[in-house]
Order: sequence, then structure tokens, then C-alpha cells
Amino acid sequence: MIARVKRDTGASPPLDPVDEAELIARCRADDRAAHDELYHRFRRQVAANLYRVLGDRTDLDDLVQEVFVIAFRGLERFRGDARLSTWLYRICVNVALGRIRSRKRRPPPIGLRDLDRAAIDPSLTERPETPDRTLERQRDQARVYRALEMLAPKKRIVLYLHEIEGLDLKEIAYLVDSNPVTVRTRLFYARREFYRVIAGDDAPAEEGHEA
Amino acid sequence: MSGHVAPHRWADAFAGRLSDAELAALERHASRCPRCQKARERVERASGSFDAIRAQAAPELPWDSVRARVYWSVSKERRSGAHAAVRRRRPARGLVYGALGALAVASAGALLVAARTESPAPAPAHDGVAASATGHGPGAIAAPVAPAPLRGLVTRIAGIATDDVLVDGARAHDLFARQLAAGSVLATGDARVDVQFGEASAFALGPRSTLELRRFDVQNVELVVSGTVDVEVGPRAPDQRFVVVAGAHEVEVRGTQFRVRRDGSTTEIACRHGVVAVRDRAGAQVEVGAGRRVQIASGAAVSPAHVVALSVDELAALSDASPVRLPVWDPAALATSSAPLEISAGARDVRRDVRVDGIELGPAPLRVRVMPGRHTVEAMDRHGRFRRAGWVDVAAPGAGRPLARLEIPADPPRSAGVAQRRRQLRAGIDPARLAGCTRSIAKAGLTDTYVQIELAVDETGAVEFLNVIDTDLPSATARCVREVLADVRFGAGAAATWRERIDL
Repeated sequence: MIARVKRDTGASPPLDPVDEAELIARCRADDRAAHDELYHRFRRQVAANLYRVLGDRTDLDDLVQEVFVIAFRGLERFRGDARLSTWLYRICVNVALGRIRSRKRRPPPIGLRDLDRAAIDPSLTERPETPDRTLERQRDQARVYRALEMLAPKKRIVLYLHEIEGLDLKEIAYLVDSNPVTVRTRLFYARREFYRVIAGDDAPAEEGHEA
Repeated sequence: MSGHVAPHRWADAFAGRLSDAELAALERHASRCPRCQKARERVERASGSFDAIRAQAAPELPWDSVRARVYWSVSKERRSGAHAAVRRRRPARGLVYGALGALAVASAGALLVAARTESPAPAPAHDGVAASATGHGPGAIAAPVAPAPLRGLVTRIAGIATDDVLVDGARAHDLFARQLAAGSVLATGDARVDVQFGEASAFALGPRSTLELRRFDVQNVELVVSGTVDVEVGPRAPDQRFVVVAGAHEVEVRGTQFRVRRDGSTTEIACRHGVVAVRDRAGAQVEVGAGRRVQIASGAAVSPAHVVALSVDELAALSDASPVRLPVWDPAALATSSAPLEISAGARDVRRDVRVDGIELGPAPLRVRVMPGRHTVEAMDRHGRFRRAGWVDVAAPGAGRPLARLEIPADPPRSAGVAQRRRQLRAGIDPARLAGCTRSIAKAGLTDTYVQIELAVDETGAVEFLNVIDTDLPSATARCVREVLADVRFGAGAAATWRERIDL
């Protein structure tokens, strides 16, 4: 069984709700120091989220910029019904979705090579790993992202959030601004397509053995 | 059916979502099927790489450069008055305030709202400089670059007589097609007009009020108001100011929602969000915070004693008075791509709050700016619940296109015969056909689904409409289910309209 681990946000230690509310209030009052604090606190989390969703770092700095611009402009409308980090994650998902859609319209410059570089978690690269094992792992990850590329953008996001990030339907529904039943249906078809691709083109198209 | 294991079932197995029996069956099959064995290995390896993907840290980026670009992007809107404006900011500041003071004195009974984007702390107004600021005196400073003009679009007209609005003294039947600019004068009879003039800024002119857009550009907004205006202002930068001058009193606000009501003898400022500072001409100042109001007689000095808390009802009224704002603000595009929708109440003496596409818009009759397409309208019944009143197709704006209208039915939804009709529906459904619709998805593992329908049956038993309003079924399956339900036959009886959830 695949063990689910708590999502690594890559962020600074979390703020307690009171400090978070104060930070938001200061940002709303256009306190530049507060803007800086929010940026410094969440920049790595935002970058990591985008990087993991998209699987490459092409124009990642532009996307991080986009997320923070949306966040600062939208802070006035942030109602506080979710943690700030969750709200930012939602923006990341939307920005990533836009990116995936635009990439679908263009010839796909899939930057999977980045996954083969040192951007991978340092704790993993520090392990005494054999070259074969490293190559194998990189290929596995590349295969996952290649399969994700085959999915429609909405399905891809839902599948990523569920299968890789381990979020439940309600959490995903909030992030993609949909409702859980829609997410459930979308996920159902996304999983079938994704694992069919993962299993290889010669995998059975119609399942008959449901045990 | 090929008899092979669907690949996603292996993922279910690795995620522990299968029972021991199911898992054993899959493993048994894989042990004698090389194809499924291969698929199993690939899925296992992919699933195993999820943890590594999830653990990936953020790559290093030029953080300071990104921060600088973010700051530039966020602040450039507020600095859109061009750098030249900054150079003339300081001399113009006092001049404009002088102008405000002069205007306030000159227009007794009128209220002047001035929104400024590039002004630091206020300076006392004095009439001598006022003429210069408005360009009428010798001290006027020519702007090197004219600030970009603002455009206002009407987003809603509410009231008994939605045509009861004058623009520049003439009755305006095409108010939704107009872009309001500096110099426009709005006057309302019994209607209330909402005007948006920025992504987060809008005002609503109350009934029997007059408003002049005296200045209306990105640097300065001066609204001369007589009557009641509810204003919602987007956040201001620290060096930006939004000033309200009401007679002898001056109100300074930042990003906030507030109401100013001025009649012949008093000025009242009520604040829902943010803080406003009210000053009199002598420089005395009181702050009015969120949920508080101040009422001052004309010419009287301000005092903290004037500030009182708003009651719950007053707060609710302020909340209800929020101007309608469109989510994506592009006045040029909106003017050509959106159109008004008129919603009228069936019975004039009944207050029927309405909702369009789930957004509450207040009581009908009203006109609201919407995008072309189909819109669902709901009206509040006497129990305070929103019920669907119908849908309406709104065409893209164009010459000769009729105004899209929808009249809310005066009668409440028929419910007398619901119990009987519901029994007839349940008895009339063909379970075998229904099972046939869902067989394929059930085999694929999608079970415990449902469909919610809305159904109207008249006295003769004819189905007036049958709509699937919610389901988690794929569209093809939902269509199949709907066909099964549409074939149910009803006998004569009471007319009924109701919603039914059918679990499949």
C-alpha cells in the first residue's frame, strides 16, 4: 500500500491564525513590509507547488510572479475561510491550469529534463544511490509527467491533486473551484486514462476483471 | 470484455482501496497473464514515484527579481497616472483641496466626493488656491501628460420605474449602452443606479438623488452628490487618498465601503469596512471605524461624541446597498459585449428579491448588466426561500435587438399535488431500463450515483418540463436516465412542480 505523507509545502513554519490575520490586515492596508513578509514566507511554497504540478521549471519565475500578483490584488476579497497557504495553493492551481491550457495550444516544450537535475529534493540526491537507481527513478517520474501531459487540463489537475498530493475530494473541489461530485466524476475518468497510459499503449482498453 | 485487469485497479490496490478478496482475485489473474503483470509493474513503479514527486523542493529562482516585478505589477495600477503626475503632485495637492473647499462652500446642500490617487497627507483647504486647482485661476499648473480618463458603466438599475433616470437632463433609455465620463450628470427618480468605474470601485446613487461626475480620471474622481450615495472604493496605497467633502466637513477614506447622506441640514457618514476620518474646517477630526456612523449638523464642529455604533439593521442595510460590481473590469469590452436583462415582478405590491445565476441582486423590478447567454433567475418566495423563476437567453448587444426580459411568475410554485405526483413518478419508473442506463458505469466502478430533477406536471397529467438539475453521472448516462423518467405517465390530478432526487 502506498503510504500517504503530509504534503511538503516548502514554506516557512506556519503562522498561527492570529499572526496570519494580522499579516493579511497589514497587507490590505498596503503595508509594504507586510507584502515583503508574505512574499518571503510563501515564495518557496508557491514555486514548489507550481513546479510539482507542471513538472518543469520553464518560466517558473513568471508563474510565481503571476501567483503573487493575483494574491496581492485579491487579498481584499480573501474572506479567511481557508488558511492563507491553502488560498495561495488555490491560486497556484489556477495559474498552473492556465499554463497547461496554453501549453496545449502550443507545441509542447515538455521540460521533463528538469526532473533529472538537482532540482529534485536534496534529501533524495544525498542518498547513496546507484546510478542505475537514479536513472530508473528519473525515468519513472518522467513517465508520470508524460502521462499527465496526455490528459485534458482539468482532469490532469484533479488527478495530480488526488493521486500525487493525496488530497480528498472536498479539498480538491475548493482548489479547483468546483463541487465534489464534479471532481469525483472527473477523477474517475482521469484515473482510467492516466493509468492506461502508465501501463503502456498495449494495456487493455476495456476492463473486465474488477474482482 | 477482454477479461484483463483495468490498470487503475492496480493503483487502487497499491493505495489499499481494495478488499483482500478483490486483491487476491487481481493477483490470481496477473499470475497467469503476462500482460496484466506488466501493467501491474508499471503502475506500481509510477505510484512509487509519487512520493518523490511530492517531496520535490522549490528550485532556486531569482527571488529578488521576482519580488521587484510583483511589486511593480501590483503598484503600477495605482501609479497609472504617469510619472508626470508625481512631479506636479505637491503643488496640485493644496490646490485641489482648495478647490474642494470652494466647491463645498459654493454648493450648499451638495456633497462632493473626491478620489485622488497620488496625494499624500491632506493640507487645509483655502479658497484662494481652489480656483487654481480647477484651472480657473492664474496659479493653474499645466499637466505634462493628461491623466487617463475613467469610464463608468451602469451595472444595475433597481426600482419601481427603471426608466426613471436622467442623464444630462434627458431621460436615458439606453443607459446600459453608455459609458459615463467626466461631465455626466445622473439624476434618479424612484430608481437606484449602480455604476462601476474600476475593478474594485463602484457607487450606487440612491433614489431622488443627483450626481455629477465633475472629475473622472485615474488621478482624481470628484463626484458632486445631492442625496444618498453608497460608495465602495478599492484599496488605496499609503500615498493615495479618497476624500469626501460635505459642506463644512471633510471625510478622508481609504479602501472601504461607506455611505454618505446629505440633506439640507445634516450630513451622515456610515462606514461598513475600513476607517474614515471626518474633519471640519477648523481641523478638528474624528475617526469613524467599521460599523460606526457619525451625524453632524451643517456647519457644526465634529466631535467624538457624534460617533455612534451602527445597529444590526443599519449594518445589514449598508451591506444590502453594496453596489453591483462585475468581476472582470474592462469597460471597453463590456460596453460592446454585455447587455441589460430586465426582470420584472409579477405583482407590484409584493417584494420579490431576485437572484441571477446565484447572485442576489435585490428586489425586482430591476435591470442588470449580464453577459450574453442563458441566465437562470430565481425569486424569493413568501417563506424567504429562493425558487427558480425561469431562465432567459440574452443576446449580444446590437442595433434593434430587443431588451431581454423575464417576468417573475406571480403565483408561487404549485405544491398541492406533489405527494400524489411523487408517488406516480416512483411507481412509473421502469427499474430495468434505469439499471440499463447505469450498467456500464457501475461495472467501471462508479456506483452510488444520483440524479436530481425538477419536474412540472399539469392537471391533465402532461409533463410541462423535466430538467436534470444536478447529477454526478456522465452526460450520456444522465441523458439516458432522463429519457427513462420522461416516459413516466401521469394521470389527471393536481398540478405540481417539485424537485426529486433519485439515487441510482
